Amino acid sequence: MKDFLLEINVEELPTSYARPALDKLKSAFIERLALERISHGDINVYGTASTLVCYIKDMQLKQEDLCQEISGPPKRIAFDENNNLTPQGIGFAKNQGANAKDLKIKSTPKGEYVFIVKKIKARPTKEVLQVLIPEAIKSISFPKIMKWDDSGTRFARPIESILVLLDKENIKIRMGNIPAGIAKGLSAGAYLKKLQKSCVLDQDKRKSEIENMIKLAQKKLGLDEYIDKNLLEETNFLVRLPVLMIGDFDKKFLEVPRDVLAASMSKHQRIFTLSRDGKLVNKFIAILDGKGRDIAKMKKVYGNILEARLKDSLFFYNEDIKKPLSELTPKLKDLIFHKDLGNMFEKIQRLEDLSLFISEKLNIDPVKKNDIKKAAYLSKSDLVTQMVGEFPSLQGVMGMEYSLKSGEKESVAIAIKEHYLPKGLDDNLPETIEGAVLAIGDRIDNIVGLLGSGIEPKGSFDPFGIRRNSQGLIQIINYKSLRLEIAGIIRKAIELYKGKLKIFPEELEKKVINYIKERLESLAPDTRPLELKQAVLRSGCNDIVSAFKRVGALSEISAEKYFLKAAKVCERTSNILKGAKAEKIGEVNEGLLKEDLEKEVWKAYSANSGAIKDLIKKEKYKEATRAYGEAFFEVLHKFFDNVLVNAEDKALRQNRLAMMQAINKLYTNDVADLAMLPQIVVE
Amino acid sequence: MKKLSFQEVVEKLNKFWSDRGCLIVEPLDTEVGAGTFHPATFFKSLGKDPWRVAYVQPSRRPCDGRYADNPLRLQHYYQYQVIIKPTVADIRKIYLDSLKALGINLKAHEVRFVEDDWESPTLGASGLGWEVWLDSLEITQFTYFQQVAGIELDVVPCEITYGLERICMFIQEKFNLFDLEWASGVTYGDIHKRHEIEYSKYNFEEASIEMYSKMFEYFEKEANRLADKGLAYPAYSFVLKASHAFNVLDARGAISQNERPRYIAKVRSLAKRCADTYIAGME
Repeated sequence: MKDFLLEINVEELPTSYARPALDKLKSAFIERLALERISHGDINVYGTASTLVCYIKDMQLKQEDLCQEISGPPKRIAFDENNNLTPQGIGFAKNQGANAKDLKIKSTPKGEYVFIVKKIKARPTKEVLQVLIPEAIKSISFPKIMKWDDSGTRFARPIESILVLLDKENIKIRMGNIPAGIAKGLSAGAYLKKLQKSCVLDQDKRKSEIENMIKLAQKKLGLDEYIDKNLLEETNFLVRLPVLMIGDFDKKFLEVPRDVLAASMSKHQRIFTLSRDGKLVNKFIAILDGKGRDIAKMKKVYGNILEARLKDSLFFYNEDIKKPLSELTPKLKDLIFHKDLGNMFEKIQRLEDLSLFISEKLNIDPVKKNDIKKAAYLSKSDLVTQMVGEFPSLQGVMGMEYSLKSGEKESVAIAIKEHYLPKGLDDNLPETIEGAVLAIGDRIDNIVGLLGSGIEPKGSFDPFGIRRNSQGLIQIINYKSLRLEIAGIIRKAIELYKGKLKIFPEELEKKVINYIKERLESLAPDTRPLELKQAVLRSGCNDIVSAFKRVGALSEISAEKYFLKAAKVCERTSNILKGAKAEKIGEVNEGLLKEDLEKEVWKAYSANSGAIKDLIKKEKYKEATRAYGEAFFEVLHKFFDNVLVNAEDKALRQNRLAMMQAINKLYTNDVADLAMLPQIVVE
Repeated sequence: MKKLSFQEVVEKLNKFWSDRGCLIVEPLDTEVGAGTFHPATFFKSLGKDPWRVAYVQPSRRPCDGRYADNPLRLQHYYQYQVIIKPTVADIRKIYLDSLKALGINLKAHEVRFVEDDWESPTLGASGLGWEVWLDSLEITQFTYFQQVAGIELDVVPCEITYGLERICMFIQEKFNLFDLEWASGVTYGDIHKRHEIEYSKYNFEEASIEMYSKMFEYFEKEANRLADKGLAYPAYSFVLKASHAFNVLDARGAISQNERPRYIAKVRSLAKRCADTYIAGME
């Protein structure tokens, strides 16, 4: 057993590519080594944007042996009646490179067959690696790849060299024209140590070092402890050996809105903003790479460049505030929303109507309703400002700043900013009801419009963010606990497009709901069993808040006996109804109840259904489930054992089915279709 | 080491790249937005023939004018463009040597290669590479071309585009463009300040929208007519004129968001025609 090291030297990868590439490299090795029957110890990946290292401890130097059984033709075809090999039998042996005497007969459920047991010779690991490594490297996928020489090799950036060490042996691999790295007689372990000496190779260690450096500096300066997480991850892959530098800039630029300053600093120079008591100060932190720099001059360069850029931002800002924001709104007519869906001005007109519609459904008071309408009108106007032209990521934020400057109410300004939230899965959500309503309206309008013009996400390709929009929609509704009939809002949104859409309204409504359901399933917490989530969604997701509540409540009790009883009731009633699908089932007719046991079942229904319905209405799902399980489990058990539901007599049969349906729907209509759970066993 | 003036930087770069087998050619005599538009890059990137060239290209970006008020932005500036085709394995090391040749101490200062996937929508050109940062100042665009005029390239050229003003800023430690020393006793401002102010005024306020709109159409027609006759170079010169007309109209605020993609698509398809014509005429 020997330690193994692979080092890929590459011209700087984009910072966001490096970590996924390392992860992929690791999983590719784990997968391929297992496939090749090469056992090994711990496997670790380390790296920077220009060095990817995979280190594997205790790699076996040979594959494990493998005996493989290869099945051939049936015996009656491979041998004739005199037990001599037929041409088919000979052919099979020949194809497998075996002799006739190697053929074995085995009886299988399908009859007697000819087999060959083939011993596959273990190959030396070194030989396997020569094929395996290029494959593992090629399996790393990137959003964009390139070629750089005539070999046709493709990667995210040109690969400079590849070094492979199995202990001290330098294994040469062939991949395009890429030269082998040089280890100068070092073992894998010694080489790794050497790399670790020249930089902080371990990405996680490096990241926490940077984080600690920044925290320490903030503490020393009496500043707020805050680190931009995205910038931290990015910086982590911009440097190999982090060194901290604190710089400053002219105080007068603190006039520039905070988010503009932050965007300029983090986007253009990848430097960290600093604040005291929540207010930005005229200082910054830069993480440099490597020691021994001319810090005095570097500080001057960083500071001067920052000031020059802020001067530009200040220019944009002053240009933009020359006119009130509302004067910019008509300019949205020049801005296309989507080529089949008209311009941005039409979009905000729909948004005004749709958010009013939602406000009414939520019984929002007239003053707030008015603010929502105003915010809708101004929601996209910042798209035609110079600042957002320069920093597209500031959309919404500038809308807020500029609307305040134009004298709008604070609630309007905040709603404008909040209506873009959440921008991603982990982003903040709107806090105000005004912002939430606008955000919901904007998202539903997007989803309806895009799906309605025939655009759909394919695999991971979702350029218009239909999934992201659906996800955000669900998060907002759940976070703010807004009780809405989502289908009604979708219908209204479709109507507001006034025939611009290519898909028929009924079909489109279903499509939109399906997308939301799909996202709801991925957003709701995982349940045990996993199918519980689907069972809840089967019972409706029109009211998103209720869907979340049901998932939460039921997953807490899914191991309780009464839950299993309730599930069994759903399962048995559902099974019996499955067979009866074709028949039209009506209402229960008490006069037709014949057997004592069925009368008992109906008595249980009459006695408990009111209370259960009530509990469901009050959203006491645990209690409702308990009441349901306790009310029907025992009595149904006896009933099924003794009474034939599918009786010969049609009237009797129909009546019994009606009873089963009533019991089934009592729970599954509004809580969860627990019949979807696998293997329900009540002990 | 003495701090180099603007014209000395150009001189040093010419010497450096000439020593590495580049032809030193002169700027294109038409208004262009970047060195990439020069036929020595646009046409010569096509096909399989090796090519090494370096040149200064005055570049115009009407929208970037700031009436000489901004220390970092100009509507007219200078690029130093290098094309190495095919690219070579140690091209980045050679590039770093060129910075050393300008007297930049790379031990005391930090060079960073920051991801930037470069694209010129009007030329249908794109590539992968970086912005090169010197202590957070972007001094170079470094690109491995993958496509030109929408044509996938067989031989990958490396394009190195230095921002001459930026490099001088760093060398001379002057953080206002207009204070840069062009030559001993003469500043960049002396030569360009009035030019910047007047052109900012022209681009944003005075350029005749009617005239440029019409010219765009004329240029487009002429480019097509010449391409029909197999005259790649003259046709291409009219594409560049059309492209500049579009940039002026844009600065003048005469192009709506809806029209912009249409204009860009027009220029791109003209550029593609010229590239096809050029390839058809190659031996």
